[in-house]
Amino acid sequence: MKKHILALLAVAGLVTLACGSGSNQGAQGSTIVLGAPLGLTGSLTKESALTKQGYDLWLDWINKQGGINVNGTKHPVTIKYYDDTSNANQSAVLMQKLITEDKANFLLGPYGSAATATDAAIAEQNQIPMVEANGAAQSIFNQGYKYTFGVLSPANKYLQGVLDMAATLNPKPTKIAMLSADDNFSLEVAQGVNDYATGLGMQVVVYKKYKNGATALTAEVQAAKAVNPDIVLNSGHLAEAIAIHKAAKEQKLNAKIFAYSVGPSTPDFIKSLGKDADYVYDGSQWTPQVKYKSQFYLSVSDYVAAYKAKYPGEGDPDYHVAESTAACLALQRAIEKANSLDAKKVRDALAALDVTTFYGRIKFDSRGINTFKPMVVEQIQGGEHHTVFPSDVADKQPMYPTPSWDQR
Amino acid sequence: MTTSQRWQRILIVLGCAVIAYAVLAPLTSLDGAQALNLPLLTDKLWFRLATITAMFVVMATAWNIIGGLTGYAAFGNVAFFGIGAYTTGMLIAKAKWPFLLALPLAPVAAAIFAVLVGLPLLRLRGHYFAVASLGVGVAVGELVQNLDYRGEPIFGGASGLFMPIFAVPNRDLYFFYLMLGAAGVSIAVTWAVIRSRFGYGLIAIRENEEAAAVIGVNTTAYKVAAFALAAALTGLAGGIFAQWNVFIDQENSFPIAYNVEMILMALLGGTGTVFGPAAGAVVLQLLIQFLSGSLPITLDLPFVPEDAMPVLAQVVLGVLLALVVIFAPRGVIDFFGGRSRLTIAYLRRSLRETSI
Amino acid sequence: MADLVQLVIIGLLAGGIYAAVGVGFSLVWGVLNIVNLAHGALVIVGAYLTWQIFTASGLDPFLTLPIDAVALFAFGYVVQRGVINRIIRAPLLFTFLLTFGLNLIAVNVLLLIFKSDFRSVTTAYSGAGLDLGGIVVPYIRLAALGIALLVAAALALLLNRTRVGLAIQAVGSDRDAAQLVGIDLRHAYAVTYGLGAACAGVAGGLIAMIQAITPTAGEPYTLQAFVVVILGGLGRVSATVVGGLVFGLVEAFAQSIPGSGSVFANAIAFGVMVLVLVTRPQGLLGRLR
Repeated sequence: MKKHILALLAVAGLVTLACGSGSNQGAQGSTIVLGAPLGLTGSLTKESALTKQGYDLWLDWINKQGGINVNGTKHPVTIKYYDDTSNANQSAVLMQKLITEDKANFLLGPYGSAATATDAAIAEQNQIPMVEANGAAQSIFNQGYKYTFGVLSPANKYLQGVLDMAATLNPKPTKIAMLSADDNFSLEVAQGVNDYATGLGMQVVVYKKYKNGATALTAEVQAAKAVNPDIVLNSGHLAEAIAIHKAAKEQKLNAKIFAYSVGPSTPDFIKSLGKDADYVYDGSQWTPQVKYKSQFYLSVSDYVAAYKAKYPGEGDPDYHVAESTAACLALQRAIEKANSLDAKKVRDALAALDVTTFYGRIKFDSRGINTFKPMVVEQIQGGEHHTVFPSDVADKQPMYPTPSWDQR
Repeated sequence: MTTSQRWQRILIVLGCAVIAYAVLAPLTSLDGAQALNLPLLTDKLWFRLATITAMFVVMATAWNIIGGLTGYAAFGNVAFFGIGAYTTGMLIAKAKWPFLLALPLAPVAAAIFAVLVGLPLLRLRGHYFAVASLGVGVAVGELVQNLDYRGEPIFGGASGLFMPIFAVPNRDLYFFYLMLGAAGVSIAVTWAVIRSRFGYGLIAIRENEEAAAVIGVNTTAYKVAAFALAAALTGLAGGIFAQWNVFIDQENSFPIAYNVEMILMALLGGTGTVFGPAAGAVVLQLLIQFLSGSLPITLDLPFVPEDAMPVLAQVVLGVLLALVVIFAPRGVIDFFGGRSRLTIAYLRRSLRETSI
Repeated sequence: MADLVQLVIIGLLAGGIYAAVGVGFSLVWGVLNIVNLAHGALVIVGAYLTWQIFTASGLDPFLTLPIDAVALFAFGYVVQRGVINRIIRAPLLFTFLLTFGLNLIAVNVLLLIFKSDFRSVTTAYSGAGLDLGGIVVPYIRLAALGIALLVAAALALLLNRTRVGLAIQAVGSDRDAAQLVGIDLRHAYAVTYGLGAACAGVAGGLIAMIQAITPTAGEPYTLQAFVVVILGGLGRVSATVVGGLVFGLVEAFAQSIPGSGSVFANAIAFGVMVLVLVTRPQGLLGRLR
């Protein structure tokens, strides 16, 4: 019997138990608690880390300002994170923890469409607004939920900018090979291309759906090569974009345009592929070269500088970071407009929000998704990201057509 | 009265108290109780944690019927969970059935599927059965996500299925009791099976299948029946999960990790027993939740940067797992009821029995 | 026709990697009766080792492969001797769970060290290849297939021609009899697991050259190793190689089905596997153990 107790004591000794931390801000208003479950371990670790960077960048800034201004009182902000191990069901538990236990005033989104869909239902049941930046699948927003807002342009727009750009190029590319992962988001991106291409006089000549996360994609690339396409599009994720580009080189698939929905915007893509990354386009929510006139928060160039100061060695912030920061900005502005911390009032303010930030315009349609911000197109040129379309925000001309593999 | 008997009594009393609390405390959230100014003993987080724990109790207990009693290491039971979830999901989202009408079909569909795949699969033994059942689990999830009919996804495709949120009154309380009921049913079923002729047959198969056949057990029928029973219970949990969670897709209804977790829970608690898997489910689920920070008490290791905490928590989970497997191969239930005590000698004996 | 030939080549080249991953898995399963869920993690440890050496010193990645093999042999030896030997007599599922725990530890330690960034070894000759009248054969993948076959051949030789190898085989067929004739079981088991880990390490080095890696990139390979080993038949190196190549071909042909065929690659591969299991439990050309 004594041994039982000893064992228990040993365990208790090893683990220091601590309860929630009390805040110690002095004369200011009460602390506003925000919360987000993220995949800090598991398969979505990379993307979740970028999301967290975006949230933290804003957090530093707002607290340097003294907090969010409500009725003349500055409320400092804290963000609570939990690790959902990249598991949507665990994300739901942690959302509820944030709401019930941590008394989060407002919620920030997790990473990924599946977790976002699950968490949206939790936000709805608890009537706490959730502003999310990393679940672009429209199906989430077609459920009539009132408390979920997404600052991103919806999935179907992801590669439409690339097609718009392609239509202006000479000689005009027409034959598209589309390779899509089989997840929610990627399929909506692919569907968007299918719907849009014919209107521009282009056609999807081969459409291949592959397993989400697959890295053996040579046979798919070979199927694309068989039709000799002008444009090779991928709607998928970073790992697959790298795999497809490697296979394209190996199989000597030469196209005029290689454009991928997710991947090329991250430093990992360039680091992994080296010089081969050049000429690749991606449809991006945001690039460091955009020229939006920020109504509050930082200008685009200051944002890039702030990012580089906080995360040295990581290159320019990519759009996952920027959109995550934008989610915080939307929430901040809505709280200020509502002049209240009341969940219902802030929700209404979010629904009525219309503001331009470094990230572009943020305004939600009746479903709660930001359909008012255009996507931009960037291209990797000489190992760096440059914005090439639309021309009013572009800093470089597209390098077109992509030279064949043996002429690089 | 010996020390171990005293411990046994204390534990039984404690266990009854915990169960009584779990069953009665949620009632304080009813409007009637609130109107009487009764203190609120539960909140939405409590409900979510309790419901998900009960869900794992069902899955681990159901796995025990095929894995623990019959000795067939099923590694793809998550397929039944997913089939149950998608059965209710499809009926609610596409056919607009009310939830309570759709739910009974979840275990039925899962059981039918288990009979169909069980007939060929259960001819395999040992590792081969484990791997084949894993294959079935993976394949079913893939098919559900991707099967199209004339360009339209049959089962909602990658977008998954959404169900109405407020389909029932007092939804937190409702789904907790439903899942708790399912847990109670699966434990009761196990209890009944163990005491029946059927159960003796299953155990005979586990100990020596050839000998069981010789003494007149229809091994094929018994194995398939046990598999179907496990599938039905797992499917029931899936069916409740669908409406509880509102949204289902391939990722949350066919998580491969659940295969491992339910087995782990059964082993942790003690396979082949009535209450072992349930105890294991509660213990492991609480541990997982503790490490991921969703309990009121959180892990706080000194000298560890905050960013590294979640990763270290996963390492801790892995280490604990390894320790349990190495040192307590009969499960935690072995310490209750006076059979064994957690002593150095016990650990030594466990090691000696299994190592070379 | 050219398309068909190209597809066969794609399948065989991919199959070489699966074979490399599979031989170590098969050895450990066949001899130790352990289904090693940490195998994919060992593969990725090898991959990170190659990446780290390549990045730090610029050493040609192919030259890092022997280092991977030696390092992982040592690591595997210690893990088996110190940990897995402790439960070798426990029922089947316990080894599943122990190796699952080891996998969890390995993946998350990698995550602590290397973060979640995608890494890849890109050399001057990455992506280059032979062009035989429109049919493409990338050098690195070709070399990977060659090395996979070489590793398999070396392993087969070691098992059949050396004292250690024969001892391992003896242990695999009858543990207690092997002990009676004076074989040190603990050592033999540890060497076996070490060899399995060494094969995984080499496979990982090859994988670092052909795809981007992250700490979680090994899990699909564990799943594929199951299929590869079952397809070939447990316990013989040559059978596993055939299983790997067959898996590569099945996958490539599944992927070439027009439209959405390739999303069923796993379902098809596992379907074939279950079919093989039910109709020919000894594998396509293996022997029943």
